[in-house]
Amino acid sequence: MSFLERHPEKPLLANRRLRAVIGVVVLALLAVPFVTTDALTGLILTGLVFVMLGVSWNLLAGYAGQISLGHAAFFGMGAFVAAWLTTPSAAGFPASIQLPILVAVVVGGVAAALIALIIGPIIFRLSGHYFAIGTLALAAVIELVMLDQRSLTGGSTGYYVQGDLAINDFVGHGDVMFLLTLVATVLTIAVTYRIVRGAGGLGMKAIHDDEEAASSLGVNPLKYKMYAFVVSSFFAGLAGGLYGHYTLYINPESTLAVTWTIDSLVIVILGGMGTFAGPILGSALFLLLDTGLAAIVGSVATTIEGTLIILFIIFLPQGLYGLAEDYLITDVGRGGASAAPKSSDATPGTDPDVVSDED
Amino acid sequence: MVAGELVSQSIVNGILLGGIYAVAALGLSLVFGIMDIVNLAHGHMLMVGAYVAILVFAATGITPLVGMFIAMGLLFVLGIVLQKVLLKHVVGEGIEQPIIVLFGLALILQNIGQLVLGGDARTADLGIPGDGINLGFAFLSLPRTVTFVVAVVLIGATWAFLQYTKTGQAIRATAQNRTAARYMGIDTDRIYIITLGIGTALAGAAGALLSMLFPINPFVGWSYLLKAFAVVVLGGVGSILGTLVGGVILGVSENLGALYLGGGYRNVVSLLIFLGVLLLKPEGLFGTGGGGE
Repeated sequence: MSFLERHPEKPLLANRRLRAVIGVVVLALLAVPFVTTDALTGLILTGLVFVMLGVSWNLLAGYAGQISLGHAAFFGMGAFVAAWLTTPSAAGFPASIQLPILVAVVVGGVAAALIALIIGPIIFRLSGHYFAIGTLALAAVIELVMLDQRSLTGGSTGYYVQGDLAINDFVGHGDVMFLLTLVATVLTIAVTYRIVRGAGGLGMKAIHDDEEAASSLGVNPLKYKMYAFVVSSFFAGLAGGLYGHYTLYINPESTLAVTWTIDSLVIVILGGMGTFAGPILGSALFLLLDTGLAAIVGSVATTIEGTLIILFIIFLPQGLYGLAEDYLITDVGRGGASAAPKSSDATPGTDPDVVSDED
Repeated sequence: MVAGELVSQSIVNGILLGGIYAVAALGLSLVFGIMDIVNLAHGHMLMVGAYVAILVFAATGITPLVGMFIAMGLLFVLGIVLQKVLLKHVVGEGIEQPIIVLFGLALILQNIGQLVLGGDARTADLGIPGDGINLGFAFLSLPRTVTFVVAVVLIGATWAFLQYTKTGQAIRATAQNRTAARYMGIDTDRIYIITLGIGTALAGAAGALLSMLFPINPFVGWSYLLKAFAVVVLGGVGSILGTLVGGVILGVSENLGALYLGGGYRNVVSLLIFLGVLLLKPEGLFGTGGGGE
């Protein structure tokens, strides 16, 4: 029976074809800074940052079920801590704390993780809607305070970040930052993959599905929420540090703004929340939309994004990944046999909403 | 040290502002209490209401007090359409879907606001001549006083509606126990539609009132959403009196925060109060539970 083979936990990487595709994609990305223009390199780097944001938010929201609306705070704090360390003079710190970019960016991620570690036990006293609004408020507080602390953040004018990793005329600073971001993206995906396929991921999914039941079976909800929150914040902070050192300019409004939270959310919804490959597919689509729409329809891009996430979450809650799984992977794998309606309830891992939407 | 007069003036202004916050919060609280969803687009609906009042005022010179009814009517319709077209698919489906649908709606409204009116802040006037009242220790400016009175009337009218009309009683019954309400022959789907309509109409009213006091731009939605939710948490979900008191507490503490810490901290103070209450006393200061989950 085909539905037995379609176990949702089948390891993605066991599929040889998929492994080959991943290899080719990574190799192609490695070549990007050497074969394309600076503008295109920057665009794809933004896409990688989207992947990091999406994958990390998905770990917290899609797997652990904690809809955080404060992801931007960790992105922004990672960016700022890293910038303070590479450019201490601009924020009034002694020059002696200056660190190389690579170290500073990692410290930025660690700082974001530490913030999550400290506020986690407090904010996780809230759940559901209260958690969502609480994280939105927390991110707003952080943004407002940082905006007010002109000496640390440059206020709304921000400041320029120092950094020059250019190797020669051919391989400039942006190209090196691209390669670093690529490494960080692969790391983000690999670590998240290990977590969701391991005991941690099981625990997260258990508390997501039914926190009380999981709790009564000895799964400590706070432990797994914290696990997801800290890891997710680390990668968001890392992404922030890398992005800040690519643009070489930082200000509280652009790095801490709710926009980054919105982007993470849109990416994950488009790709498929709670699916591993979802955010990666979502980033690609979002990058196309974000740049394509801006060029074609300009000012209504946000409206289209908003409309898309509404339509996706109602009619296609498994996102692009769900579409791909239904129409590509299954068809190819079974010679089209299972193009017939899904084996409904017996198929684990597909969202029942898709099938049983009787409203 | 800050002069005593400034302090008493800040407190009085805070109380008057609190009335409007309470109107915004009441809409949010009603929807939350009955449908168990937080309208993440509530602040953006408030922004739309404010713009309706501003545009009517700019085009015709009609006072936003009249514009307010136009805004309420428009947002009532928006709420009904929203429930009929989108939310009915996701209410009761857990929290993720409603949150994301409303988040998307907030983005759309913000973008439309930007398109129609540009990113600049705009404001309206009361449009009624007259001076305020000097109390000696503080001055009651006319726009602030009028908007406060209107806000209290709106809250009283909502209370009376819920208390004495058949529909209002059906709404309260649905809030208490949806299943039991259905058994008693209440069409709860219709109640949801009406509730969301009233909730969003109140957001529109609050926006129209605020347009007479503060400049409005397309991005104020998030900030007013958080303020309204802060008031809901302070007052407790479902408590009308609590909402009014919560609004006043928020208004006063914001003004005092701005006075002592600087204008940049106006919103920080309200957000910290909000987070503090949420964490320490999630059932609200006057609430009957419902907090924390």
